[in-house]
Amino acid sequence: MISFASFPSSSHDFSDYSTTRHHPDVEDDIAMDFDLEDGDFEDATQKLIVPGEPLTSSHAFMRGHGTYVDGEEVVGSVAGTVERVNKLVSVRAIRTRYNPEVGDLVVGRITEVQPRRWKVDANSRQDAVLMLSSVNLPGGVQRRKLESDELQMRTFFEEGDLLVAEVQAFFADGAMSLHTRSLKYGKLRNGQLVAVPPVLIKRLKSHFLTLPCGVDVILGLNGYIWVSKHVKESQQEGEEGFDAEAVYSNKNDDIDDATRAAISRVCNIIRILAAQFVPLTDAVLLEAYDLVVEQEGDVKDLLHGDAGDALVTALGGRG
Amino acid sequence: MSSRIEILNDGGYRSDGRRQYELRDITIDLTPQGTADGSASITHGLTQVSVSIFGPREAKQRSQTLHDRAILNVEVNVLPFSTGDRRRRGRSDRRILELAASIKSTFEPVVQTSLYPRSQIDIFVSVLQQDGGLLQACINATTLALASAGVPMFDFVCAVSGGVHSAAPLLDLTTLEENDLPHVTVAVMPRTKKVTLVTLETRLHVDRFADIFRLACDAGQTIHAEMRRAVKERTRTLVAAMGAGPRAGPGEHMDRDVVMDDTIIDY
Amino acid sequence: MPRPPSPSIPEKEFVYGALKEGLRVDGRLPLEMRTPALAFGPELGWVECSLGKTRVLAQVDAKMVKPPPERPLEGIISIHSEISPMASSDYELGRPSDEEVTITRMLDKVLRRSDVVDKESLCVLAGQRVWHLRLTIHCLADAGNMLDCACLAGVVALKHFRRPEVEVVGEEVTVHHPSERAPVPLSMHHTPYCLTFAYFPDASTKPVLDPTHLEQRLSAGMLSIALNAQRELCVVQKAGGVPLAADEILRIVDVAVDKAKELDKLVEQRLKEDWAGRTVEVR
Repeated sequence: MISFASFPSSSHDFSDYSTTRHHPDVEDDIAMDFDLEDGDFEDATQKLIVPGEPLTSSHAFMRGHGTYVDGEEVVGSVAGTVERVNKLVSVRAIRTRYNPEVGDLVVGRITEVQPRRWKVDANSRQDAVLMLSSVNLPGGVQRRKLESDELQMRTFFEEGDLLVAEVQAFFADGAMSLHTRSLKYGKLRNGQLVAVPPVLIKRLKSHFLTLPCGVDVILGLNGYIWVSKHVKESQQEGEEGFDAEAVYSNKNDDIDDATRAAISRVCNIIRILAAQFVPLTDAVLLEAYDLVVEQEGDVKDLLHGDAGDALVTALGGRG
Repeated sequence: MSSRIEILNDGGYRSDGRRQYELRDITIDLTPQGTADGSASITHGLTQVSVSIFGPREAKQRSQTLHDRAILNVEVNVLPFSTGDRRRRGRSDRRILELAASIKSTFEPVVQTSLYPRSQIDIFVSVLQQDGGLLQACINATTLALASAGVPMFDFVCAVSGGVHSAAPLLDLTTLEENDLPHVTVAVMPRTKKVTLVTLETRLHVDRFADIFRLACDAGQTIHAEMRRAVKERTRTLVAAMGAGPRAGPGEHMDRDVVMDDTIIDY
Repeated sequence: MPRPPSPSIPEKEFVYGALKEGLRVDGRLPLEMRTPALAFGPELGWVECSLGKTRVLAQVDAKMVKPPPERPLEGIISIHSEISPMASSDYELGRPSDEEVTITRMLDKVLRRSDVVDKESLCVLAGQRVWHLRLTIHCLADAGNMLDCACLAGVVALKHFRRPEVEVVGEEVTVHHPSERAPVPLSMHHTPYCLTFAYFPDASTKPVLDPTHLEQRLSAGMLSIALNAQRELCVVQKAGGVPLAADEILRIVDVAVDKAKELDKLVEQRLKEDWAGRTVEVR
């Protein structure tokens, strides 16, 4: 008997597939099964592809990401769903590392300080680069970079610091370059980091969410999510009086117990939604938070038992 | 060659009740493990191997990186309790190094490494239980783990072991059979039916080799069907889970997804 | 440690271009081996084998030991292979490279695991005294295809070696010095020869036998086959590299069968010549 334990999912009935012990001769039957199955599925939702599976003719279509051309055929190279724009066929992998695009908002962690640049882990295939020239320095936006800035780079960002930034450009080898030249971006504090598969973060109007429970959430498109205490708009502002102390401070503000509980609750909600592979949007988070508060359970109970299944079912019911 | 146990009895059954061409039960588990980008564990009968993939990610040692493609780093760990005689094998054990080298060179031409310059893909293989067909299980598990990590590959690599018992070819050997029979391991890429790996370690006549070799190539297709089914099933579950969330999110129409309902001509 | 410089682009393209037309840089046919040259030393079991500029020295010696309790009736064979930076700057001391691991493992499989020497014939007194054969392989220079050269040197050294005659009376073991009684050859089951084929990235390029260092560097996969003149395969090793069609592999196996027969003839002849010149030594 074959059994797959995929994601904790509704129990599928595998009885159709109980033909485990194949003799090589019965193989044709299996192949036929598959065609049928694919056919059925295509009607329902997207077409699924696994590596090495032919997609279409290479004459009629152009190959996109996740595919390659072999002679007459376009063949998939990752497991995922087929996407098509006119003549361009690509396969989007269901689980993969973050593929950056210019303008994406990411949350990252400094891994290394190098001459005039920081290396940032952003869940991508290589560490991202944050140039010294791409950050706001104390003393105004128009300030020139000085040698003394180079020497005190660690006072801005140190190894292990978390930051939120935007993808600015790419280097020739595909590594991304970040910038934090906005007051929205910069060092992160007063909160917790949660990592989820990047595919679960869809592009939204704004990736800075403020939940009514006094919690700010930054949904990095790279799958890193920052959950922190809410900071009032007025405190953030101040284009002129750019407060270097505050921006690059390593000290947390005072966080009261209620906010701490709220932060943990949001983090746990994100964790269970990610475990159930539910895409995260502001609406989902809000709704899930309300549901959880209604249940009045302890924060840590969320991670136990069937709370996750229950939550997702409840969400599905409302949505 | 003197064994007390009959490898193939008069009724055509093997010591564990299988027929000549019968493969052992295969279980495939693609549950994510820890923080790995992709992971898989596979069992062939009593042989159990689990693989975790990390990457493509920034290389640990920058001096090792290649400017035009990613490097694969394979570490094999044979756990001491995996065999009957509890023996700790060091990392420098030649047998393990060879196993790691074979896995690495098998996947180097299969993974599209040129898409990830200066990166590194780490493949950690843990052998949990051994009952023959170790190389086969390692290769199959690595294929599955790479697929679940979304690492682009030209094709699956499906490996099968086989042996010959006095002119009768057998597939998928247990340790008992491996000790007594000349055995081969063959890894095929099912789409092109090409062979990426062949190993034979004992004396075998050329004609016998041809038999078992062809048979193993065919059996690779069967294994492929199982592996493909598992990967598809998981992908389907994940896609379904992603669709199951509330539809009314404001982000939904912002989504740059293209028209997906268009059927692509099945070629 | 800086990596050795890879072949320059023109060199690479020239070699690929020539191979595509079935020509090799050293003028051989694609499936032609460099003729191995075997030189025997003054002692028995001392062989220097060279394939072109690749040179390997193999030496066998035997000593009497007590067998391990789990195998009281079998002699012991151990293979010591040393690939030092002397052979080529590719090799380093310290952690063995993948290539070195492959060579040592292949030597082990070809010369030990495929039962070349009848281990039971090495037993002198059950559980008390057996012969321990030590085969030492020194790689002197690597100009490509070190594996085949090392295997050939190893197997010829075993064939060339003769162990002292022993006499057993009750529990008493007497070893006769070669000057008293003629030493006896080892009893061997078969003589495997290892043949390595290199494949290139371009699928239409034919594989070459016995690749040179440059060809080896440019290849995209190697297939090593060890077999004896009786058409018995001992080891087939193709770990990764370019994927090949099943028929192609079987075709190469057939080629290897013929080559092994030729090689066997050559080795037998050289051993005979050497032995003819040596008979004077035995009094």
